[in-house]
Amino acid sequence: MGKTSKDKRDIYYRLAKEEGWRARSAFKLLQINEEHNIFNGVLRAVDLCAAPGSWSQVLTKKLRQNAENDDDVKIVAVDLQAMAALPGVKQIQGDITKISTANEIIKEFEGLKADLVVCDGAPDVTGLHDIDEYVQSQLLLAALNITTHVLKTGGVFVAKIFRGKDVTLVYSQLKLFFEFVTVSKPRSSRNSSIEAFVICQNYNPPPGYVPTMINPLLDHKYCDFNQLTGPNRFIVPFIACGDLSAYDSDTSYPLLLEGQTSYEYKEPVQGPIDPPYKDILEKTKSMQINNS
Amino acid sequence: MSTLIRTDVTSVKLYKDIILAGIGSFLCTFNIKNSKPIQKIQALDGQKIHGIIPSNCLTKLLIFGGKQFVIFNEIESIFKPRGDAVVYDDWIHTAVWLSENEIALLSAHNVVTTWDITTTKLLQQHINKDNSILYSGLLQPLQHDILVFSGTVYSQVILQWFGDEQPLHYLKGHKGVIFSIRCNLQKGIIVTTSDDRSVKIWSVTSACSDYNIKTYWKNAHIDCVHDLYGHLARVMRNTLTNLYIISVGEDSAICFWDYNGNLLKKTISHQNSCIWSLDADETNLVTGGGDCGIMMHPLSSVTHNSHDEVIDISVTPKKILFTARNNIVITRVDNILNYYNSNFSKIQEIKLNHTSTYQLVGLSSCKQLIAVVDMDGHLDIIIENCKGDPGLTKIIETQLHLGKILSMQWAGNRHLVFCSEGGVITVGASKRNTIEIIARYLLPPCKERWLTASALNDTRDALVVGDRCGHVHLYESRRQQPAYTMKRVHGRYGPTSIDIRNDIVRTTGRDGTVRYLKIIESGLKYMSCKDLEFEWVEKFLDSQGKYLCGFRERSLVVYDVENDLKVVDVSCGGGHRAWDAERYIENNHGCYDEWLRIMFVKNTQVYVHTFRLRDIVSTVILPGTHSKEINCLRTYRCRDDDPVTWFITGGEDTTLRVSTSEQEAEFRDRAVFRHLSNVRAVRLLSVAKDETLVVSAGGRAQICIRSITFTDRKVTAEELVDYQIKGTDKERRGNQNWRNCSVDFDPETRIMDVVVDELNEDRVVIYTACSDGEVRVFEWNRRGGRFTMTQEVRHHRTCILKMKMFTCCNKKIISTCGTRGDVAFWEVSSDGTLAEEPALVLRTNDSGINSVDVKVTGDCQFLLATGGDDNAVHMNLVRVAGEGRWVVVTSHVYRDAHCSQVTGLALLDGLCVTTGVDQRLTSVSWRVEGEEIKTEFIDQKYSDVSDIHGMDVVRDTGDRLTVCVYGKGIQVFELLRPPCVA
Repeated sequence: MGKTSKDKRDIYYRLAKEEGWRARSAFKLLQINEEHNIFNGVLRAVDLCAAPGSWSQVLTKKLRQNAENDDDVKIVAVDLQAMAALPGVKQIQGDITKISTANEIIKEFEGLKADLVVCDGAPDVTGLHDIDEYVQSQLLLAALNITTHVLKTGGVFVAKIFRGKDVTLVYSQLKLFFEFVTVSKPRSSRNSSIEAFVICQNYNPPPGYVPTMINPLLDHKYCDFNQLTGPNRFIVPFIACGDLSAYDSDTSYPLLLEGQTSYEYKEPVQGPIDPPYKDILEKTKSMQINNS
Repeated sequence: MSTLIRTDVTSVKLYKDIILAGIGSFLCTFNIKNSKPIQKIQALDGQKIHGIIPSNCLTKLLIFGGKQFVIFNEIESIFKPRGDAVVYDDWIHTAVWLSENEIALLSAHNVVTTWDITTTKLLQQHINKDNSILYSGLLQPLQHDILVFSGTVYSQVILQWFGDEQPLHYLKGHKGVIFSIRCNLQKGIIVTTSDDRSVKIWSVTSACSDYNIKTYWKNAHIDCVHDLYGHLARVMRNTLTNLYIISVGEDSAICFWDYNGNLLKKTISHQNSCIWSLDADETNLVTGGGDCGIMMHPLSSVTHNSHDEVIDISVTPKKILFTARNNIVITRVDNILNYYNSNFSKIQEIKLNHTSTYQLVGLSSCKQLIAVVDMDGHLDIIIENCKGDPGLTKIIETQLHLGKILSMQWAGNRHLVFCSEGGVITVGASKRNTIEIIARYLLPPCKERWLTASALNDTRDALVVGDRCGHVHLYESRRQQPAYTMKRVHGRYGPTSIDIRNDIVRTTGRDGTVRYLKIIESGLKYMSCKDLEFEWVEKFLDSQGKYLCGFRERSLVVYDVENDLKVVDVSCGGGHRAWDAERYIENNHGCYDEWLRIMFVKNTQVYVHTFRLRDIVSTVILPGTHSKEINCLRTYRCRDDDPVTWFITGGEDTTLRVSTSEQEAEFRDRAVFRHLSNVRAVRLLSVAKDETLVVSAGGRAQICIRSITFTDRKVTAEELVDYQIKGTDKERRGNQNWRNCSVDFDPETRIMDVVVDELNEDRVVIYTACSDGEVRVFEWNRRGGRFTMTQEVRHHRTCILKMKMFTCCNKKIISTCGTRGDVAFWEVSSDGTLAEEPALVLRTNDSGINSVDVKVTGDCQFLLATGGDDNAVHMNLVRVAGEGRWVVVTSHVYRDAHCSQVTGLALLDGLCVTTGVDQRLTSVSWRVEGEEIKTEFIDQKYSDVSDIHGMDVVRDTGDRLTVCVYGKGIQVFELLRPPCVA
């Protein structure tokens, strides 16, 4: 496969490299904001499952427009893995299921709570949709759980969601904590991808709700108002986001885009992080494992 | 009601003489002896079965998956549920029977619960401290307690005594998610597999001797003693037998290890899809794969392989052959022919009187006649007797005057085909004790001018031969020159074998293929090709065409092409030596056994390997199909009342398959064709009662057309068009090396959907929706074979996803749907071209449209229904007025059908059936009342097929509708149509 094949196949991959984003997902957050104005007045934001850091990059760039002084903007990025440093972003290497992590975030905000929590985390998919969707929903609920500790009332929560067979269970759970829940798909997210984003606005926990890490939220069961199959299912409104004139992630574009006169290949901004199989590759370098 | 289900086999279990399998939410059972299906019953509700655990007394099954579990009773091999499935609030990873009435579950948040199954009451719950997500687990019952192994997302295995606050041990060492944990208490061994592609064997040593008590585990040292790598991708599952550790992975590999960590055997199964499940007893291993198939592998194949013998014959052997009676003929450099019986003892020696050392040896197709000829034309024909003590008799010894003989083959049992200098082909037939020349032909000039294979068609008196340039020639009516030549059928070495059955010529070659040609009035017609996994294909070993042998690098291999299985792989040094292979059936006291025997010459000795197939061959319990998602599917029936349904499917695995099912278990692929990249769209155009044109298209801008003929349960295919919009790699590059090629700025488009229309008997028009936003129109002449692009039109600025053609107002109309939720309608002119501009453009959906259907409701009025990423079904009533004045009369949205992308949609009289990624099949009634569209929910079903890509209506009998959904698998539903809608 040629060096330019990926540039040809995926317009946003190419644009991310050209605009200096660490991953193409940066465009997703930008397009979500275009539609939902989630950055309006936000000074304190939390980026959960932040690595490699493209959403933190977007937050830094966008939130600084909300403040006269760059120092008034506080962004905390949380991930299990270490990630390359970003100016203006406080990194916490920690587990989002731990109370200590929540406390660290609050401390960073000097006792104040966050205006916005975003989470673009996804598991390594196994290929079995039901397990992948379940693990993704658990990741989202873990993100929601820590959000209940750190988000101010009226705040916004944005997270990646897999719209699979049991997504209505997640919707109904989110609806308990937020007044408005919509699901959105940025133009930069492929049509063929199962991912979408939930935009949860106006955080308003049920009366008497006490955030806890001991008994994490487990998702709901099907019931009368949210059936496994039937006319009553909890389906939230869908809003596509991103300008209609924006590039489309499913379209094949020529390397010379409209209005351009030259094309230059660019290396990725951030190379891949250590994959789990790195060790094996090292150890088996001198051996041959054949599939014959 | 679901009538057919094929999807990932997520669970298998050996139970008495039954194989239990979890296919989606269904429990399917098979007889272990004859592989016949016994039962199919729904066990869970909206969850896949991930585990089947028989009770200790083998009377009950615990079946779990997702957040559910259910208990089944067994009575005489038939399973019945004891009650409804129980819904728990966490994902169940593993389960165990504690007694006949008590079970324990381990769930994803590291919670262990125990249940009384007679009352389905929760007895105990213990939440372990480390409650981040688990990917696997094991509950090991001890005498009175349970040992809990939890495989975490953080690469650790946590070992805990059930009920304890603190874990006993953390097993650290893996670098990725833990996918499976198994334990053998007697051996003191724990085996784990992981995302990091390794299998680890941990040894447990303790000062205490009784593993049933806590002290043993408290004082135990658990160390990783073997770190094993044999897999090329994630290792999903493992199981332990007394002798072996067996691991399966994403790379389709099954690895058999001994307890010292030696890799004993590795086999590839399930067509390169992930293997999801396995179970083994001491004699068999069962695996379930992502290709929807189930296989059984005899464990005897791990070590015991073959009976090996060496025939030592002091003098260098030249050619070796198996005869009709499974005896062996060996010709030697010293002009002697030896005859050995099947026990390898020499019984005869025949002296040959050849003058030249260049000797050609041939065996007739009945394997009874042996011909030996030297370069000077001295010919011996020797026959093996068929009864009594084995013996050879020389029946012909003669001198041919053909000049220097360069090649000789038998064509059937009577004819010998010689090729001598100058390309002279001579066909001779035996007549009493001499040879009668019956025909002479001339081989066109080529570099090495002789034949590599030949065959006769008696009924047509036609001879088909292959030469060293890979050409295949057909000679007819005794005319010297070929009646027809098909060039470069098999690369530069020429066909290795040719045989003819009826009118079909089957050739094998050293280009890794079997090719099928048909003898027609005007010569030969190319039909189709079968790709093999090995380069050097030699010959079929049986008349049914099941076993095919050849060479892969230095090994002699035998493949079962019916089931796509490698049967034998023996390192022999390569294909350039003398060798032979045979398959035979032996009656051993009324028990018929199939055997394979191969032999080859190495270091001047003859090595013979004999295999009893049942010791080494895996059995197909349930045939597999696509190894990845099915992107497109069309069903076909030769007649409306035909019980046989054909499924033509294209997948992400780059194959196009034709499958059929009369009964559920008979669903199997009848033909498999390959594309260069994924197959995204397929359309049929019926041209005769039992013949249809199949147009398939997809990645790499490739379009293929095949004619498929259905007879009984057989498929005959003819490849007609294989076209790439930008040309093939070779056409694009010319003779340039790829390194010297300049960067091509144009992307190669993907073809997302295709529509086919017939202008007349000859002219076929193909419309393609492309990922660069263009609609490209092609015309193909069925008689002349020309395939040309006639038009490129662009309206959508982004990728076009779907296309639909219909007739309304006496106009042919094509609608195209894009990723922006826009639909364009194009009028089609009588010559098949599209109007320059769309007649109407609508923006129906918020986002990409993944399904579309149209129902014409009046003279000049139609209903358009679209479904897509915005998880709603949009309906628009459109009136086609004259002069291109089209108007949308009214619009309607139905939002409750799905909660994710709507990928399949069928608009029928008064009924709209939809499906989507949320795995639901929804029926909604619709009607037009005045200026309004009204819809009403009728019914919804859950499908076990994940990642649903679409739906096709199989049949509609008015009161009953059969639909097929496809994605990661395939499922057929029968829907009853409510009377009010019929």
